[in-house]
Amino acid sequence: MPSTFTVALKEFSDIVKGRRFIILVVVFGLLLTVAIASVYLIVVQNIPGVAMPRGFLGRVAYTLVSMMSYFAPIIGLALGFDAISGEREKGTLKIVLAQPVYRDIVINGKFLAAFLAITLATSIASIVSIGGSILVLGVTPTTEEVARLALFVVFSILFAMTYYGIAILLSTISKRTTQSMIVGVVLWAIFSFVIPIIASLVAFTIRPIRFAQNITSPEERQRLIEEMRSRTAITETINSFTPNYHFSRIAQYILNVYAGIMIGSRTPANVRNVSIIESLTSAWPNILVLVLVTAITFIASYMVFMRQEIR
Amino acid sequence: MSYAIETYDLTKIYKSEGRSVVAVDHLNLKVEKGSVFGLLGPNGAGKTTLIMMLTGLTLPTGGSAKVLGYDIIKESIQIRRKVGLLPDPFGFYDHLTAEQNLEYIAALNDIHKSERKKLIEDVLTTVGLYEVRNRKVGGFSRGMKQRLGIAQALLKNPELLIFDEPTAGLDPEGARAFRELVVKLSKEGKTVMLSTHLLFEVGPLCNSIGIMNRGRLIVQGKVRELIEKLMVEEGYKIRIKGKGDMQSLASAIMQLSDVNKVEREDDAVIVRAKRDVRAEISRLALSYGVEISTLQVEEPTLEDLFMRYYRMEGIEHA
Repeated sequence: MPSTFTVALKEFSDIVKGRRFIILVVVFGLLLTVAIASVYLIVVQNIPGVAMPRGFLGRVAYTLVSMMSYFAPIIGLALGFDAISGEREKGTLKIVLAQPVYRDIVINGKFLAAFLAITLATSIASIVSIGGSILVLGVTPTTEEVARLALFVVFSILFAMTYYGIAILLSTISKRTTQSMIVGVVLWAIFSFVIPIIASLVAFTIRPIRFAQNITSPEERQRLIEEMRSRTAITETINSFTPNYHFSRIAQYILNVYAGIMIGSRTPANVRNVSIIESLTSAWPNILVLVLVTAITFIASYMVFMRQEIR
Repeated sequence: MSYAIETYDLTKIYKSEGRSVVAVDHLNLKVEKGSVFGLLGPNGAGKTTLIMMLTGLTLPTGGSAKVLGYDIIKESIQIRRKVGLLPDPFGFYDHLTAEQNLEYIAALNDIHKSERKKLIEDVLTTVGLYEVRNRKVGGFSRGMKQRLGIAQALLKNPELLIFDEPTAGLDPEGARAFRELVVKLSKEGKTVMLSTHLLFEVGPLCNSIGIMNRGRLIVQGKVRELIEKLMVEEGYKIRIKGKGDMQSLASAIMQLSDVNKVEREDDAVIVRAKRDVRAEISRLALSYGVEISTLQVEEPTLEDLFMRYYRMEGIEHA
């Protein structure tokens, strides 16, 4: 009886030899190189008003997180949008299912192949960019930083798999590949841009900014802080409906909140050192959400595919 | 009698946008082992849906069926292990070579690696694609892809082969080679089911047929028996050619009992009668001084058979 590995092996080979995969990895590698070069310029020029980030992570974390926030969804969608619909359109699905294979072998094989390909792409991109950063910035990461970076790569793979799960579900239920691709891109845009914008609009509508002439009294200051916290809570509640938010939270926890230190900060933040276990504990709910979304979308695709008519 | 395919009230209803479409309607079909069976019918008759159900790719809405003794719902894997299917339409992985495509199919059939190379070479040689085995399928013509489709169906050395529109896209040479292949497979004792609306391409190969229309099987049986039945029902067609007063002979034949019609067709006289009246025609020819060179009963062709049932069903376009 052929196994999931028979399908996975062929699918993996197709993905990594495909133009789409190679272009994505190369483009992401180039973007990371440019981003790291910009970090290098800030370090060298010591731009006034911008605090020098501390340690290796402090210098590359923000770049890594922001780049991965785009790369992971794109590679997940790119590998998944035609996984089933493409085979159905080309007629290869009929030929494959005319052989003595259970349908779950086909979809499991595709999922496994995508996981391996995403792991490969994310690992290559991360190793190249981290290695490049070490060479360019001249800062060697500590053992803990290496462990945190490794965890970051693992959760980036999970994030990409979440988008792959969404894409393969769309591909299973869509009649046409173009349809699943368009819906996938629209969903990505909604999660990445539309919902965060709506979240801010809602937060500022419910809790508008009041411009105080002078904030002298402690009560007034306290009230402003409360309002800011309330706005953040509203924004985060709305954003929590997107996988992107959960990934960004995980990244912040895992990379020890170094991300963001370069934005508008005039002095290096006084970050309390937390252990990796503490970071993982804080990130646990967000990790669970990404795992659940990936599992639910995959199970849904699995169920639809198992019952689908082949015509 | 053992059957390769048996269906009992097999039914498939598709539901789409709130509408129900009966694709296969209480179909009862039997295909003998070792036969070449022609599943005939116009486009949309339900032939492909029937094939999809027989190979377990689509579940029936009602009824049951067995293929090579296996239940199509519970034992579809065993069926697909022993049935080579050429679906219609189908596709291959364009970025892979013909050989690589077949390697994958062989792996899915759990054919041991040590046997694969030889098997693949054999089937590629059979369909005439051995020379282009290392070319990517994306560059293949429609006919070449069709031949590769036939090759993948042969790869597992199946007991039953189901070809859906097998000659679609094949050039005359390819179609001829396909017919020879079917004859060879039949001699090897394999059962072959040919589903087509192009009767003239594969019809002559079939020793039994089933004609489908609107999801129903309107007739099935051995070609010979069906033709004889048609001759009984529609009468004999006798062609006469000869030298002499053919016009007078024709008029005299018309007076014979059980003769329905006498007509001229080029230089021949065609007689349609309820029985074989050749002996009486010979006697009349002698008395009218006509020297007969041809006096033969023309059997209805498969096409005549097909058209008769089509007319009965009111199908305009075959």
